Amino acid sequence: MTINVLGISGSPHRHGNTETLLDSFLEGAASAGAVVEKVVLKDLTYSSCKGCNTCHTTGECIIRDDVIPLLQKILEADCVALASPIYSMGITAELKGLIDRAQYLWARKFIIKNLYFSSDHIRRHKGLFISTAGLSWDNVFDAAFPAITAFFNGTGFEYYDNIIANNMDAFGGVKKHPTALKEAYDKGRKVVEVLESLPLPKERL
Amino acid sequence: MPIKILAFAGSPRRHGNSETLLDWVLAAMREEPAVIIEKIPLSEVDIHPCRGCNACEKLNMCVQRDGMDAINPKIIEADGIVISAPIFCMGINAQTKALIDRAQVFRSRKYVLKLPIVPPERKGKRLGIFLSTAGQTWPHVFDAARPSVRCFFHVIDIMDADISYLMINGVDEKGAILNHPAAKADAEQLGHATITELKKRLAL
Repeated sequence: MTINVLGISGSPHRHGNTETLLDSFLEGAASAGAVVEKVVLKDLTYSSCKGCNTCHTTGECIIRDDVIPLLQKILEADCVALASPIYSMGITAELKGLIDRAQYLWARKFIIKNLYFSSDHIRRHKGLFISTAGLSWDNVFDAAFPAITAFFNGTGFEYYDNIIANNMDAFGGVKKHPTALKEAYDKGRKVVEVLESLPLPKERL
Repeated sequence: MPIKILAFAGSPRRHGNSETLLDWVLAAMREEPAVIIEKIPLSEVDIHPCRGCNACEKLNMCVQRDGMDAINPKIIEADGIVISAPIFCMGINAQTKALIDRAQVFRSRKYVLKLPIVPPERKGKRLGIFLSTAGQTWPHVFDAARPSVRCFFHVIDIMDADISYLMINGVDEKGAILNHPAAKADAEQLGHATITELKKRLAL
């Protein structure tokens, strides 16, 4: 069974610390035999959620833009890594913009109830958060986690792990960090191995 | 000299719960003489996300030309700054996050270039208010919004002791806040108290 791993880069800064860490994760996943793909949010065109709540009755978003096919792609992936640097103690506006737009999936799951993820589905769909921060504070990622949790809850993924590295300013970038890139690579390999090792879903037996 | 209040309505939904909460605060402020209020709905302003280029660390300004060009001087001139934002997916909504991230130019000014944000005579005299509403009833629903809001106020030289918070959970559909037992009275009290404190600080 081929494992599809989707990396989503929420940084406005191409090939910076966070995207480099994501690349390392994807390389690790590819080395374990996964089919990997990277989407760079800054190259897409999409607007923020309008908060109109139309999706609470229709289950669909009234805005037709690049977010809709991307969310479809996310639903079809076996593993999704959301990557964002920490700006002002939170994820970037780009990634928050994507997460907010997934409201129609939340509505389908919790209000309309035509989207359901079995515990078996969730177990075999792994979500990771990849992040870097300039500051050395231990709590610098804390305010990012709740939105990531909300996103994975609404899209049927187990929030499996974080690959995070702070103090980038002092290290002079992720490439000079002693462990971060190797950790990302190893975790990329590992998640694919874990997904492959899971017994076949019941419906396929 | 009038007291200047700058208010951001961060919700994409006009006249919804978080903006109503803001309007209650502003209406109370408006009852005081010599208060000038400007309310900016972020849904009507073009604010691009921060590009993370760090050019402001050298240029002392942003390389992007958009709605922030008009907003930045207002942030400096205001005596009181109010942000209202709904909670989407356990955090502030993306438009408000874009505003907060674009305040990076002030962070560079203050912490990298070591330049003042406001003239010395106004330093420590400004107040900040964060207003928020959330559909969820969880008590921790605002926890992830606060650190980013504190960042915004800190970089524009409004420190923790000068930030007030009024956050109402459990209001989801448009207008739900009208049925909240305490929100309106709390908002009005906050509006009056803010102007009273600013008058004291500005010796008006």
